[in-house]
Amino acid sequence: MNRRFRILSALLHYPDEALRGALPEITAALGTEGFAPRHAAALARLCRRLGMGDLLDRQEAYSALFDRGRSCSLHLFEHVHGDARNRGPAMVALIEAYQSAGYVPDTNELPDYLPLFLEFLAIAPPALACELLGQALPILDRLHARLAGRGTADARAYAAVIAAAMAEAGATPQAKADPEDDDPEQMDREWEDVPVTFGPGNDPDRESARARVAAMIKRLRATRAAAKG
Amino acid sequence: MSHFLDRLTFFRKYAGTFSGGHGEVTTESRAWEDAYRSRWATEKVVRSTHGANCTGSCSWKIYVKGGIVTWETQHTDYPRTRPDLPNHEPRGCSRGASYSWYLYSANRLKYPMARKRLVKLWRAAKAKHTDPVLAWKSIQDDPAQRREYQSARGLGGFVRVSWDEAEEIIAAANVHTVKTWGPDRVIGFSPIPAMSMVSYAAGSRYLSLIGGVCMSFYDWYCDLPPSSPQTWGEQTDVPESADWYNAGFIMMWGSNVPQTRTPDAHFMAEARYRGTKVVTVTPDYSEASKFADLWLHPKQGTDAALALAMGHVILTEWHAKGRGDYFLDYCRRYTDMPMLVLLAERDGRLVPDRQLRASDLPENAGQSNNPDWKTVAIDDATGQPYIPTGSIGFRWGEQGKWNLEGRDARTLEVVTPRLSLIEGGATAQVTFPYFGDHAQPFFNPTSLGETVTRTVPVATQRLADGHEAKVATVYDLFLANYGVERGFGDGAARYEENAPYTPAWAAAVCGVPADRIITVAREFAENAEKTKGKSMVILGAALNHWYHADMNYRSIINLLVMCGCVGQSGGGWAHYVGQEKLRPQSGWIPLAFATDWYRPPRQQNSTSFWYAHTDQWRYETVTVDEILSPTAPRKLSGALIDFNVRAERMGWLPSAPQLAVNPLTIAAAAATEGKEVTAYLVERLKDGRITMACEDPDHPQNWPRNLFVWRSNLLGSSGKGHEYFLKHLLGAQHGVQGKDLGEEGRAKPEEVAWHHEAPRGKLDLLVTLDFRMSTTCMYSDVVLPTATWYEKHDLNTSDMHPFIHPFTAAVDPAWESRSDWQIFKGIARTFSALAKGHLGVERDVVLTPLMHDSPAELGQTHVVKEWRKGEVEPIPGKTMPGVTVIERDYPNVHVRFTSLGPLMEKVGNNGKGLAWKTEDEVAFLRSLNGTVEVPGVDRPLARIESDIDACEVIMHLAPETNGHVAVKAWEALGRNTGRDHTHLAKPKEHEAIRFRDIAAQPRKIISSPIWSGLESEEVCYNAGYTNVHELIPWRTLSGRQQLYQDHPWMLAFGEALCVYRPPVDLKAHQAMVGRVPNGHREIALNFITPHQKWGIHSVYTDNLIMLTLSRGGPIVWISEVDAKEAGIEDNDWVEAFNLNGALCARAVVSQRVPKGMIMMYHAQEKIVNVPGSEITRARGGIHNSVTRTVVKPTHMIGGYAQQAWGFNYYGTIGTNRDEFVIVRKMAKVAWLDGPRVTHQAADLKAAE
Repeated sequence: MNRRFRILSALLHYPDEALRGALPEITAALGTEGFAPRHAAALARLCRRLGMGDLLDRQEAYSALFDRGRSCSLHLFEHVHGDARNRGPAMVALIEAYQSAGYVPDTNELPDYLPLFLEFLAIAPPALACELLGQALPILDRLHARLAGRGTADARAYAAVIAAAMAEAGATPQAKADPEDDDPEQMDREWEDVPVTFGPGNDPDRESARARVAAMIKRLRATRAAAKG
Repeated sequence: MSHFLDRLTFFRKYAGTFSGGHGEVTTESRAWEDAYRSRWATEKVVRSTHGANCTGSCSWKIYVKGGIVTWETQHTDYPRTRPDLPNHEPRGCSRGASYSWYLYSANRLKYPMARKRLVKLWRAAKAKHTDPVLAWKSIQDDPAQRREYQSARGLGGFVRVSWDEAEEIIAAANVHTVKTWGPDRVIGFSPIPAMSMVSYAAGSRYLSLIGGVCMSFYDWYCDLPPSSPQTWGEQTDVPESADWYNAGFIMMWGSNVPQTRTPDAHFMAEARYRGTKVVTVTPDYSEASKFADLWLHPKQGTDAALALAMGHVILTEWHAKGRGDYFLDYCRRYTDMPMLVLLAERDGRLVPDRQLRASDLPENAGQSNNPDWKTVAIDDATGQPYIPTGSIGFRWGEQGKWNLEGRDARTLEVVTPRLSLIEGGATAQVTFPYFGDHAQPFFNPTSLGETVTRTVPVATQRLADGHEAKVATVYDLFLANYGVERGFGDGAARYEENAPYTPAWAAAVCGVPADRIITVAREFAENAEKTKGKSMVILGAALNHWYHADMNYRSIINLLVMCGCVGQSGGGWAHYVGQEKLRPQSGWIPLAFATDWYRPPRQQNSTSFWYAHTDQWRYETVTVDEILSPTAPRKLSGALIDFNVRAERMGWLPSAPQLAVNPLTIAAAAATEGKEVTAYLVERLKDGRITMACEDPDHPQNWPRNLFVWRSNLLGSSGKGHEYFLKHLLGAQHGVQGKDLGEEGRAKPEEVAWHHEAPRGKLDLLVTLDFRMSTTCMYSDVVLPTATWYEKHDLNTSDMHPFIHPFTAAVDPAWESRSDWQIFKGIARTFSALAKGHLGVERDVVLTPLMHDSPAELGQTHVVKEWRKGEVEPIPGKTMPGVTVIERDYPNVHVRFTSLGPLMEKVGNNGKGLAWKTEDEVAFLRSLNGTVEVPGVDRPLARIESDIDACEVIMHLAPETNGHVAVKAWEALGRNTGRDHTHLAKPKEHEAIRFRDIAAQPRKIISSPIWSGLESEEVCYNAGYTNVHELIPWRTLSGRQQLYQDHPWMLAFGEALCVYRPPVDLKAHQAMVGRVPNGHREIALNFITPHQKWGIHSVYTDNLIMLTLSRGGPIVWISEVDAKEAGIEDNDWVEAFNLNGALCARAVVSQRVPKGMIMMYHAQEKIVNVPGSEITRARGGIHNSVTRTVVKPTHMIGGYAQQAWGFNYYGTIGTNRDEFVIVRKMAKVAWLDGPRVTHQAADLKAAE
């Protein structure tokens, strides 16, 4: 078992009494399981944070980050498919991947729940783990950026877990801290449609239509030329 | 030269181009196609539907693979219709089609959650008190602790808790509340049970077992049209959508069928193919307009003017001229038009008073039973008054004469009643109220005077007291009220005359050209005459949400009735607004309100409740003087809430809480004085030592303490006066801008105690069950994750089609969610355990209003007398609420929850005033569901453990799903009417629909006397059909369609006959003009909130895919003219505000919208893309942030035939369309995403 994945999985799960109880064991393992020192130190900070003060405060912070809304969702396909229907088939495919490696999810969590996914990586054949993690990297990168961009200590601490996971595939976070919904100007740009006006000379599709026709003519000519040749 | 050898014979190359290069063969992988292929290779396909507030009730296939829902498509296996009628499918819409994502959405509520501050307090209290009830008490006894978690409501801060802990908190709060304050301080709100009736029943059964209060919704949503109970004694009954196809002429009036009845809209298109003429009436160019042959666009709120003018044309051209035998015959047989009305002298004028009764005539006209409740007509052959059978006096206390056979009750001969007394020659000048002058400038006031006096044919009748009274028929008064010229020279001789209610008058008020009004009226009536009633009006929320909605509706009902359309296939009144048609209702009621264990349950009308307990009454701007009739019989004084309090005390409306003491303490107190409980309570009420809670809603003793919300988004959607909820009920951050009556120094109510300081935070505990973190959840203390529509077993019915079909659990509830049935069963279990030591078998004193469809509906006649004022003796069930003592077994709540109680066998079952035995059905359920031993009950009871058990109980007890019961119910009705109706159910007597049957295919239900239409293979379901064709009376005073409303309060408020009443002035916007300037121009617009198509009906607007089809967040629609005036461009952020609060949204500037109107689609929540308000400095509100409930006294009438209270049947309605807002462009859009320092708190700090 790759215990690094197991540790990352545990740390990213809801901080309950059980996790608190296991913090000494996890902290001890951070130094022995082969994490890069930078990641080990960051994870140790998270462990210290999780062990500090009233557990309810940590739980509140966790819930605020992960239990509601899509931007920091710990469900991988939330970031790929969102509310689209393809999400169901994607999850089915993931379950099949787990099953073909000889494991069945034994939980009420969905198969794309990141801690569950990380736990699978811990027990999967290394080649498969590497491949699956590689596929998830863009999502992890984005999630990292969003956590880092949240500006709270808890979010930063959790971002370290994502960074450590990415490091397992030799990757480092690339995306800059994501402003997500905070920048109204950016949001306006994202939501803005090209205004539609009617009448001659004002067809918004006109340019692209012209381009399509031009491309068609070009291809026809090329075909004819080839036939003659 | 041949190339034969170069050419291949048996092969071709697997690549290359074809079709001259237009096609191309490639060798790339086609594995991607597998995704599409395997999508359909599912493990199972399950039938379910979409619930909560959608009346579509469409059957869907849910595809499941690997325990995951992968896809959903429309089912197309509805039972076929008959030849020449289109089939029902396809049913479904974009909203349903985008539902499956909800299961796995990031917005899904996955775990039981609780407010952290409460959890912290709770765990600390638990550490001190081993008894959870005492732990809860310790928190509630400390105002600082209470305030701490209340003030955090709406500001986030949730943690996950275990189911055990959540149940313990809730049950401890409930036990403490029942014990300390009384069971009627535990309240539950859940709407529209027809859509997932078991889920509704789960909560209401629990509440009813502990003595809690179930809140109504239909009236609160303002979807209940009080005109329906007023006219027909029926909550709402409408044609199924297939019946549109049978119509010859349809008016679609203020109802956006393609947008809000999407799965049914195909019948509208098909009706047009058949040749049906369609006239659409909407102020804006709505989607419904595309169906129109003619689009009429009256100014919003003035629809009654338009309909009254159409009525004027039809009455003038048909009735006054004696044209149309069909119309006249229909009016004689099926309406109260031939009934006599007393004319009374008032201030030197003659005004219409109440309808004459048998008791007014010498020797009660031979009627010893209920002579006060039997109306009088004149025999056309003899000219003598007689008592026609069928009035409500015949419904109770005698049998066999409650029918519309048209007999003289004394001789039993069939008699023709005289419609008009015009042949007699005697006339009188009669005065009618006219309200058109009292409109705000925006609504086109007229200057025609406060009253109108017309010549009316009359007769003289000697009364029992010897004096001679003038009487007129309803028919003659009705025509005079419409201003129809009948040869007396004082009606409107020409349509161009500006007099009520001519087409020219209407054109000036509503803006529709007179010639259009005349044309439509003529075509409507001509079609009705030729087809014998196949003219139909589909009408909706655009008309019904006004303060004077009754007038909009009654003016249209009048049109339909004068043309003989009601009760005729393809004709009639089709009100499609949030209508709930819980078809197997009488099978469901025992389960839902635990009437198998205790009768009666506690039920409450929500509008009055929220009005009182969110303290909206403290800000009332409308006075009674503004709405009283100039012909009012005597000056009625007081505030609107005073009228409600009077209604509660007289037993007209229910109360919650009921008494200003814990109802569990009364029986013991009576015992110490050696008195019988009811006598003791009456004595105490009379001497004032016990009072009713309604007289002091702000006293802590009378606060609602625990509130359950399930299947509902009360605070994100339907909570009119949203900001008042936040301020007073929850004690949360709020946006109320106005001052209360005390601060303003205005007149305070007469009947209600005034507290200088209004309470902030009445509720101890708010619990919400949902599958998503809705706005309501955000304000809750405990949030429980419930199963979605693909994760539970349940039942669904609609009035749009005649089928019953199921929800079935395609997959197990995801994460830790549970079905509502499981959740409330769990709470019941914990409650039972925690109750021990606090509550045992307790005697609970329950008050019940004078209920409709019970003998108590003949409660109070002629004059209003108040026991509280010493005008009459308090007599329970007659002059005050009924009193029942119920023994509740609190430690056994759970075992009673999960078994079918003994009252079903002991007392039987009932519905709509009919009672029948049901032992056979109970015995069947014992063998079907298995049995369970219950302490204190001598024999095993049928088990109701699972949700499927519950479904079987509903379907087996209900006449609509069990033919044996249907026959029994029709037999019961036959005893009343003296007619045999069993032929309507006999062919289906041995049919009994079970849960697995409907899981296989939706089933058509069985005709039952609970409903007024038939489920047959010959006609489509149409309301009033059995009244007309089986001669079953309407459940009204006259037993006919009651067009004349003669209760003293109806007379006082000028609504005996339908009149035009302009929208009321709520005075909420003027005071805000310029109060908080931001540099942009402010304009005032009328605030309209129609239903949308980018949310899941009226509940959820957080589906990003659907939002993307619109603007991705909250939007309001305004006209180009208004936008220009205010300097607003399309997509600008604007703020709409008034004294009630504020909301922020982007502007959609559209030609669709008429000047003067701002439209905000209903239920856009503050959880998706809502910035901070510049006015309230809190997050920018929801559509109800700028509304406030205003109640209407005529909706409080009770104990008076059809105007008697029933749950969701009659009562005050939550109107909201009369509201105006100030609209302006926002200067600064703040997202409030910083740390949780509220701006209001910051302001406070700065002030300190």
